[in-house]
Amino acid sequence: MSGFKRDWSGNAKKRDGPKPAQKAVARNAYTPMFETLRDELDQHHDRRERLVKASRDITALSKKIIFSLQRVRKIESQLPANIQAEIDSRLTEIAKLLAVIAPEIQGINRYRYSRSLMCLEELVEALTFAHYLRTQTLVSQDELAPIVEDLSRQGATTEDAVMADAGDSAENRPRPAKTEPPTVSLTQEDYLYGVFDLTGEMMRFATTSTALTGAMASGSAAGDGEDEPRSIVQDMHHLGSFFEMLPVGKGNRLAWERKLEVTRQSVQKVEKLGYDRTIRGSERPKGWIPDLSAGDQGPPDEE
Amino acid sequence: MIDPALFEQLKSKIEEDASVRKELDQILDDLNQHVSFTQGVLSRIHSTPRSKYAPLLGQVEGGIKNEIETIGRLSAFASQYPYYKYNHKWQRMVQDAISTVILCAWLGGLSSESTPGEVGRLLTLEDIGALFGVPVDLKDRDAFHITIEEYLLGLINVIDDLSRLAVNSVTLGDTAMAVQISAFIKDLHAGFQVLNLKNDILRKRVDSIKYAVKKVEDVVYDLSLRNLIPAPEAQ
Repeated sequence: MSGFKRDWSGNAKKRDGPKPAQKAVARNAYTPMFETLRDELDQHHDRRERLVKASRDITALSKKIIFSLQRVRKIESQLPANIQAEIDSRLTEIAKLLAVIAPEIQGINRYRYSRSLMCLEELVEALTFAHYLRTQTLVSQDELAPIVEDLSRQGATTEDAVMADAGDSAENRPRPAKTEPPTVSLTQEDYLYGVFDLTGEMMRFATTSTALTGAMASGSAAGDGEDEPRSIVQDMHHLGSFFEMLPVGKGNRLAWERKLEVTRQSVQKVEKLGYDRTIRGSERPKGWIPDLSAGDQGPPDEE
Repeated sequence: MIDPALFEQLKSKIEEDASVRKELDQILDDLNQHVSFTQGVLSRIHSTPRSKYAPLLGQVEGGIKNEIETIGRLSAFASQYPYYKYNHKWQRMVQDAISTVILCAWLGGLSSESTPGEVGRLLTLEDIGALFGVPVDLKDRDAFHITIEEYLLGLINVIDDLSRLAVNSVTLGDTAMAVQISAFIKDLHAGFQVLNLKNDILRKRVDSIKYAVKKVEDVVYDLSLRNLIPAPEAQ
């Protein structure tokens, strides 16, 4: 396709540039109506553009959090300090962005711009993954929503703080009225699709951690009070069945089925990993395991 | 790993969503039926001389009355849920309903004491909202309404239909109608040029208006060539 449109007489038409003077002058009975509608539509387009920009940044930051988390080697209640620090700094950035977009997506606008806010899925993925690595459980939407709301609130306050720091008379400048800042809410779709993606991250985590520590990632025995700590294979099975049992989301059946298929594959990859560990793990000489001090705590236990 | 309550909660929410969609589908089925009927009746204008519009428009108004009733039901039901979560389901249908109403009014139907029915009346977005009894371009609260995009897309459908009518009215000997349509479509075309469009469906449809303009201009050209344009409206 050519880069511009032609009118019926074959002349190139410019849409975005300034209008030809002749046209700008030619007004008719309907021009005022169209001008009003244009202003309304422009508001909508501009808002969407702002959201898309912020969304891209939030997605990038969330991905960086996930990369940091992939450097964790085992499931334990405290993430390694350096990784936690990386995540915290990213979250601060995300919080600021959330605070910026929050006022734009209140009320009726929340769903209007859902499709421009794919970043929330990514953020859910990062947060649920961090939660899993700490607690070996899936955080629910009800637990997650306040966390995201808090983030947007934090972002709003740090922004104020930054502005206050910038001014010399920071101390005696009157603080803005203490109204509750608008927060970003999660939709069920954001949550579910984020958790779908979580299975992929868990698969990658299971693979790297098994390769590098020689043991299947599992919870600490004390944590669960069960005889044997639950391994990530069981968790993946659990999560896989969880999605299989849920009724298919009607809103976007295609996306749902695609995600479900990816989840199935991830589950099977981890299964295979568990099998390999069981059947061949014992054949490996103990000393063979590469020592990556982060996760190594004595010899891996053999089943 | 997963709290069983979480599963139950998500499951019931998804089921609730599914039942909302089902209910909507039923209402939209009804709406579809009324809109199709009204469109069908309206299609007869292409073979009806202007003098016989009145009984035809009366029938169209009957169809529109059903549309209004169904959109009222849709509005009442859909307003319970986030508007933009489901609005893609009815966008098309509401657009078509808007088209029937705009066309009917343009042809002189839907008259009242304050607005006598005359050919060439364009209903605005606000008029449409008032007619259907629903708000338009809502921003401050989350409820059913008619959007600007729906109105504009509905209007473009009418332009297409009128360009066809220009041809057929000439066949029926009503050359004044073709000239009037030409002026109307040109004005609207200029109006649409005022909009700043993004690369979306609205832009695609707006781009198509020029073909309607050309079609009607060709008709007017043929008429003027043969001195068939009635005197008062000439050029």
